[in-house]
Amino acid sequence: MSTVVIKSVGIDIGTSTSKFMMSELTLGRVSSNFSLPQFDIIQRKVTYVSEIISTPLKNEEEIDLPLLVSWLEKEYQQVGLTLSDIKSGAVIITGETAIKKNADALIHYLAERSGDFVVAIAGASLEAVLAGKGSGAARHSQSSRAAIANIDIGGGTANVVVFQQGKVLETITFHVGGRLIEMNSLGEVLTVSPSLKPWLFFKKFQVEKGMRLSLPKLVEITSALCGDLLDVLAGGKSISSLECLVHSTSCPALPRIHEVMVSGGVGRLAVEEPPATLEDVAKFNDIGPLLASELMKAVKRYHFTVVEAAQTSSATVIGAGTQTTKLSGATILIQPELLPLRNVPVVKAALTEMDFEEQIEQVFLKGKEWFEGNDHLPFAIGLGGTLYLSYVKLKEVADIIGELYAMNFPLAEVLAVVCENDMAKALGQALRLQTNYQVICIDQIGIEHGDYIDIGAPLNDELVPVVVKTLAFS
Amino acid sequence: MKEKQIELIVQKVMEQLQAKFPSENRVDPVDKGLIFTERDWETSIPKPAFQEGAADLTASTPARIGVWRTGTRPLTKTMLKLQFDHAAAIDAVGGEVLENYLQEFELFTVETCYENKEVYLKRPDKGRVLTDAAVQTIKERCQHRPQAQIVVSDGLSASAVETNLKDVYPALLDSLKLSNLTCGTPFFVKGGRVACMDHIGEILEPEVLVLLIGERPGLVSASSMSAYMCYRPRKGIVESDRNVISNIHPLGTPPVEAGAHIGTVLQKMLEQKTSGVKLEL
Repeated sequence: MSTVVIKSVGIDIGTSTSKFMMSELTLGRVSSNFSLPQFDIIQRKVTYVSEIISTPLKNEEEIDLPLLVSWLEKEYQQVGLTLSDIKSGAVIITGETAIKKNADALIHYLAERSGDFVVAIAGASLEAVLAGKGSGAARHSQSSRAAIANIDIGGGTANVVVFQQGKVLETITFHVGGRLIEMNSLGEVLTVSPSLKPWLFFKKFQVEKGMRLSLPKLVEITSALCGDLLDVLAGGKSISSLECLVHSTSCPALPRIHEVMVSGGVGRLAVEEPPATLEDVAKFNDIGPLLASELMKAVKRYHFTVVEAAQTSSATVIGAGTQTTKLSGATILIQPELLPLRNVPVVKAALTEMDFEEQIEQVFLKGKEWFEGNDHLPFAIGLGGTLYLSYVKLKEVADIIGELYAMNFPLAEVLAVVCENDMAKALGQALRLQTNYQVICIDQIGIEHGDYIDIGAPLNDELVPVVVKTLAFS
Repeated sequence: MKEKQIELIVQKVMEQLQAKFPSENRVDPVDKGLIFTERDWETSIPKPAFQEGAADLTASTPARIGVWRTGTRPLTKTMLKLQFDHAAAIDAVGGEVLENYLQEFELFTVETCYENKEVYLKRPDKGRVLTDAAVQTIKERCQHRPQAQIVVSDGLSASAVETNLKDVYPALLDSLKLSNLTCGTPFFVKGGRVACMDHIGEILEPEVLVLLIGERPGLVSASSMSAYMCYRPRKGIVESDRNVISNIHPLGTPPVEAGAHIGTVLQKMLEQKTSGVKLEL
């Protein structure tokens, strides 16, 4: 196998809008013929991006599933796709939609009906990273020394990711979005999102349903909102001092940021003419256009250099479609009939010289406590650590895992191991020879305790697509 | 002076020295921190203008980059390390694999026509042909026409065998077991070159043969091993008919993973009845 092209889809169900995209991922061998085989995604080509539709809602708390499904079916038809053509992809539910009553059920429903290995993902941090990859910020940072923050502002949240040299440094998400205040062209407030209320209260802004707001007042509110967001990014205000505005963060303090890129629906509006009248502002019945123009105005007051985004409103969906799928190492041990596996929780142990047995015992006990229910395959075992494994040690590790697994999970039939280092084939064969389990052992996948993993059907004899979900559904 | 006399003098001097410096006062190099680890050899750019960029570059290669300088020449430490690695490389070529190490793996030893290390280095052709005694031995001791034949050789680095065989070999045996392949009688070839596979192939006629052989040492690793594999090796085989997994050592291609993968490659050779560039991996 020299190269293989797989079709990957992205579906983004956002607070105010939803999008669909299709891409082609080219997998190719990246190691020389004298080394062990190693594959990677060598090209990501976006082949189709749908029109942006308003996310169909049944009421304030529920998404309209039938409408969403029929829209998706139409899109598939339009690009001439059948489900079996699609080998990977992701459905992501973003912003405030994720807290709707039927969000969890919906996204899994969609994932299972969108193709062979389309997975459901969610989580503000992941969303930020995908948006930053889709917008072009990650690529920009590879050719620049500066740390760049991609601010993806949609209807409900502003997801920020900081990249340097193509690597993610931190993520932070704010309750800042175009649809948090809905209003009509008279300035009458239609709704105020509950997630914005604590900040409004903190800043002593009086905004209630039915109130009429003047343009200067709206400018004052949106300007303060952008100011607080940028203050946190610039380090002028601490994250803890603005807890009411921060949805979640990966760190207590952000690294120094030199450049910013703005994507998302608000990012798209930011390149348009600033609204001059209340009617202009209320074009979409919300504060989106004003938030965009105020953000661009406010950012000039900071030291940030603004870099233009390659993708704005479609950044997240493009990120979801092209960036969620990873490839395992190409020397692994799998039993193809067991794949795909979806939503397998992960417990993690580090390979160490000393107390490996104790560690495995402990994580198994924890796993037993947390993930009761799936007897057949309770969880996957993540193996980290930089210890060099001799074959003797490796066989010992296989014995320890096999014995303790049997002791703690008498009903289990499948043993799944995810290694960070290139060792899965050797460990997998030891597990096959030394235990009676069916074995899935893959490697070169970084994974953490509490992550969830999806493992797809093999792309050739020894290569599987993998999606690691850092933040799963509650 | 006769040898005996010298020995006597040396012995006397040693006794006197020992009386002068009792053993309790002798410096233990470990306690004094005189044993150098990889970390002790490290040098770096003192104040890089772009720390992350410099770190990325040095992490991307084992080559000696970003080691800093004094005037227009490298630091003394860098020079010493270079000489140290060079010496290790020379040692690896000159060294021999200990017999009892091979016995651990139940490998018996035969020789090529290499005569000695000096001739071995000057005459690669001699390392490709087994001696008549060797031909006789393997004819007597080895299973004829096995499915898979494993051969180990020191090649250009004895330390490659001593470092990696204990991990590559059992992983390889297990991978054969898991692929349901049967293995003939493995043995060790002293003074072997890659193409000794062809001569062995003529004698034993295995379906596939794998040769685990020490690579030419470099300044990054002196104990790197290669696994050369061939479908029906025989006289007239050309390089493009062989497959290889190279750079097998603890800091390169992981030995256990390489061993496990060899079984898969051999199985593909048997399925496709070919090897080398024609083999689809």
